[in-house]
Amino acid sequence: MKSDSPFYENTIKALKQSELFSGLKEAVIQDMLLMFRRQTWLRKSIVMQPEETVKEFFVIISGRAKVSRINPDTGKEFILFLLGPGDGFDIIPLLNGKEHNVSFVAMDDLEALSAPFTTVHDWIERHPEFNRAFLPYLGKQIRLISNLAFDLALHDTGTRLMKLFLQHTVHDNPYPSLKLINDLSNEKLASMIGSVRVVVNRFLQKLKEEGIIDAHRGSLEIRDLQALVQKIELHVGLSTRNKKNTN
Amino acid sequence: MSGKQKSAVSIFNTHTDAEDAVRELQKSGFDMKKLSIAGKDYHSGDSVAGYYNTGDGVKYRGKSGVFWEGVWETVLGSAFFIIPGIGPVVFGGPLVKWIISALEGATLVDGLNAIGTVFYSIGIPNDSILEYETSLKSNKLLLVANGIAEEVEQARKILEATKATDTTVHHG
Repeated sequence: MKSDSPFYENTIKALKQSELFSGLKEAVIQDMLLMFRRQTWLRKSIVMQPEETVKEFFVIISGRAKVSRINPDTGKEFILFLLGPGDGFDIIPLLNGKEHNVSFVAMDDLEALSAPFTTVHDWIERHPEFNRAFLPYLGKQIRLISNLAFDLALHDTGTRLMKLFLQHTVHDNPYPSLKLINDLSNEKLASMIGSVRVVVNRFLQKLKEEGIIDAHRGSLEIRDLQALVQKIELHVGLSTRNKKNTN
Repeated sequence: MSGKQKSAVSIFNTHTDAEDAVRELQKSGFDMKKLSIAGKDYHSGDSVAGYYNTGDGVKYRGKSGVFWEGVWETVLGSAFFIIPGIGPVVFGGPLVKWIISALEGATLVDGLNAIGTVFYSIGIPNDSILEYETSLKSNKLLLVANGIAEEVEQARKILEATKATDTTVHHG
């Protein structure tokens, strides 16, 4: 991307707010932009199929993408990650060069930067300071997957749903808000916790009656974060008060 | 993703830059039937702008008549529309056919003009459409290369090496 592109300013702004790039000097980001190109997808388009995961690395500038796998026999979908602005994908093939058996689908109109793996590897080699953000980001992704595996094995659907809400709650506002999942359908929420829509409907209704959440069609809000945390603690039997350090 | 239609859209500051890019695409063997161009070429009071057919092809009278007639020898189709919010815009290539279809079929997308509707139909999201319309308004030119993945990738590589200020690949 060239510096006189009309999209340049917005792109720089998005990167400066991202977990992966915010710590980098502007000159390093500019060097990166010279090698990355801009691409867009309309909502619901397939961004990448498994066989394409070994070609390019993407950084989301605006919109969301889901990383999922579908059981070809049942059609049941499991959403592994929901990615938003500033997130990079697909990190696993970037590291090991092997196909990742997942699909990437745009959940909104999606704008991303992309570059071939070799270009990204060269850039990282030239700018090792990127690793200061990249390694913790990678650690966070691994921890999310590990938590998900434990949750699926050890906790019931209600607890998994509440933990999903907590994981996506932005705490630094005067009022807590849900990030990325606030407008998802119950079916999509179910796909993120390995459940089905009817079960999620039931739990959402319960949480709504207890005044913990506010759910309307296409809009989900946390009304009582403390009650949500207490309820999770009760179900999990572990303190989640140190969530910031453990999640 | 091969087989699926994509578009590469480039923005150029000047007619010369756009003309050079068209020439580069032609040299590379890109199918010129899949290349479109759009740009304003009308400055009130500067000169007469007009568009007519003399029987042996379309003639364009305007500030950059030579440029447009050169482009029209290369791409398929030509038109001159007054687009609300943008003004008079000259088009060449398949964009012409798509705009006419949008106008005749009354298939305009809510909140979008004819060119916005066409851009949306080829997979360009709203934010980018707004930016392209702003570019047209400020007298920049757009080149749109569409086709299957391999064709668009070939066009993108060439366009990125030109003086285009931006080249974006849009997936439908």
